[in-house]
Amino acid sequence: MLSLVVGLWSGRGTSKGPEGYVAGDRTLGFLMLYFILGASIFSAFAFLGGPGWAYSRGAAAFYILSYGTVGMVPWFFFGPRVARLGRKFGFVTQAELLSSRFQSKSLSAVLASISVVAFIPYLTLQMRGAGYVFNVVTEGRIPIWAGAAIAYGVVLAYVFRSGVMGVAWTNTLQGMFMMVLAWTLGLYLPHKLYGGVGPMFEVLAKAVPDMLKAPGLGSSGEVWTWGGYSSAILISAIGFGIWPHYFMKIFTARNERILKKTVVFYPTFQIFLIPILFIGFAGILSYPGVDPADEILPTILMSLDLPAVVIGLFCAGALAASMSTGDALVHAAGSILVRDFYRVVFRPDLTDAQQTRLIRILVVVISGVAYYFAVVSNQSLVALLLLSYGFIAQIFPVLMAALYWPRATRPGVLAGLAAGCAAVVAFNVWPELQWQQIHPGIWGLVANVVALVIVSLATPPMDPTHVREYVVH
Amino acid sequence: MRPRLFSQRLDPRVLRLYRVVLGFFLLVFLAMIWPVATVFSRVYPLVFGLPFSLFYIATLLVLSFCVLLALYLWEGRTGNSCDPPEDEGPEKERREDS
Repeated sequence: MLSLVVGLWSGRGTSKGPEGYVAGDRTLGFLMLYFILGASIFSAFAFLGGPGWAYSRGAAAFYILSYGTVGMVPWFFFGPRVARLGRKFGFVTQAELLSSRFQSKSLSAVLASISVVAFIPYLTLQMRGAGYVFNVVTEGRIPIWAGAAIAYGVVLAYVFRSGVMGVAWTNTLQGMFMMVLAWTLGLYLPHKLYGGVGPMFEVLAKAVPDMLKAPGLGSSGEVWTWGGYSSAILISAIGFGIWPHYFMKIFTARNERILKKTVVFYPTFQIFLIPILFIGFAGILSYPGVDPADEILPTILMSLDLPAVVIGLFCAGALAASMSTGDALVHAAGSILVRDFYRVVFRPDLTDAQQTRLIRILVVVISGVAYYFAVVSNQSLVALLLLSYGFIAQIFPVLMAALYWPRATRPGVLAGLAAGCAAVVAFNVWPELQWQQIHPGIWGLVANVVALVIVSLATPPMDPTHVREYVVH
Repeated sequence: MRPRLFSQRLDPRVLRLYRVVLGFFLLVFLAMIWPVATVFSRVYPLVFGLPFSLFYIATLLVLSFCVLLALYLWEGRTGNSCDPPEDEGPEKERREDS
């Protein structure tokens, strides 16, 4: 309720054009940007999936800590240049930047399609998370479909009203709330069940030693391969800062120092993930057989006879986590489809007011599609999510080429993206090609870089004065 | 037309510092995956109550944070950046022309 009020209230001061709606007029300060990025990663995956992984796969969950350690560092180096180009040319999305560097409308459309395809399973996951929370906490009185619908009705209400400033304020509120909750629960549960964190791990070390050291367990309970664990870290670290809804936050920073400061302090959110993992570890021996494993946290909570206030706080925290990521996602997906696909390919003459209205319509449509997958279909989320990370990471070589390699050409990056995505699809369609459980996205990146370099060198270089505006020199 | 990670306009000593920092993060990354991580993948000894494997990752996390924080503070003090803006006023322009 409070988050709805703050969300609606913050919409008053922002300008109505897409630059205001999408990039918050490039005026975000440190705290806002920090919590926007933090709360977006503290999604249903972190709050329900994190404990779920620690509970069912043990140390495999450490991969989340690992990629977060280095995932934001590239921003420190390329972020200021991206922000500067955004200010100079008025970019507010990733595809605008890249298609302008390579002077290619089709690149814009390809990037927009990759992004939106990758967003939908991610959004589906958040919705299902919200549904789980309502369902477990009301002991089944609110079914998953209704829970997801209520949570995302609220999300739509404030994204609709306020644009990105709404997203920023609500993320700040939710982010602070999550941090307090993470530590309280993460330290309280081991204490209550085992008498402390140290005693808990001593007991677990004797009972399930393989779950306490990397790479942890695989999906069917066997010891995970190092190939699977390492490549999950690699693909996530590469894909992490490239997610278009994340990347476009670079354009919202007030200045370069604020952007860098946000990157520097980002790992503090990773520290807050550690107690969240304790919650999952606490459940391994005391609550065997919870299925799906992602429900471990609400299940433990409901069994503890806690005061209603604590349950209420948990509900609000988990819903906030799911909703703050969800609103960032629907909002980014809408903006990207309108600005980078529809406007570029069909209607270059769209006015600002029309764009803003179209973004709002698409926000509703995209939420609807994700809601369909969350409730009606039984598609495997893990499979979809793996596929989407594989695709998103393919944008990384294009960005590197755009900013650091003057010789890269339009046919080069298009060939790279095509080869990369084709390899990802191939490895997903024929899983028997896999070796050591290495993530398909890794092979995609190899194919991508090879094609990008060969085709770029085989085609004539682009106009040096144009390129010089973009690359580091 | 060759790839360039850092601006040519950087002072050689500053450039070396940025290269060292980037190299450090590359090492941190390599330390978290196969084969380096296999060496540190152990349950015992428990440090601060954490399994050694988790303690190891947490240490890398804190170390990375400190290094980047130091770089940020140093940039603030000296006004350096790995990719300084081009148009820094007429004085800079003149120097480049001559």
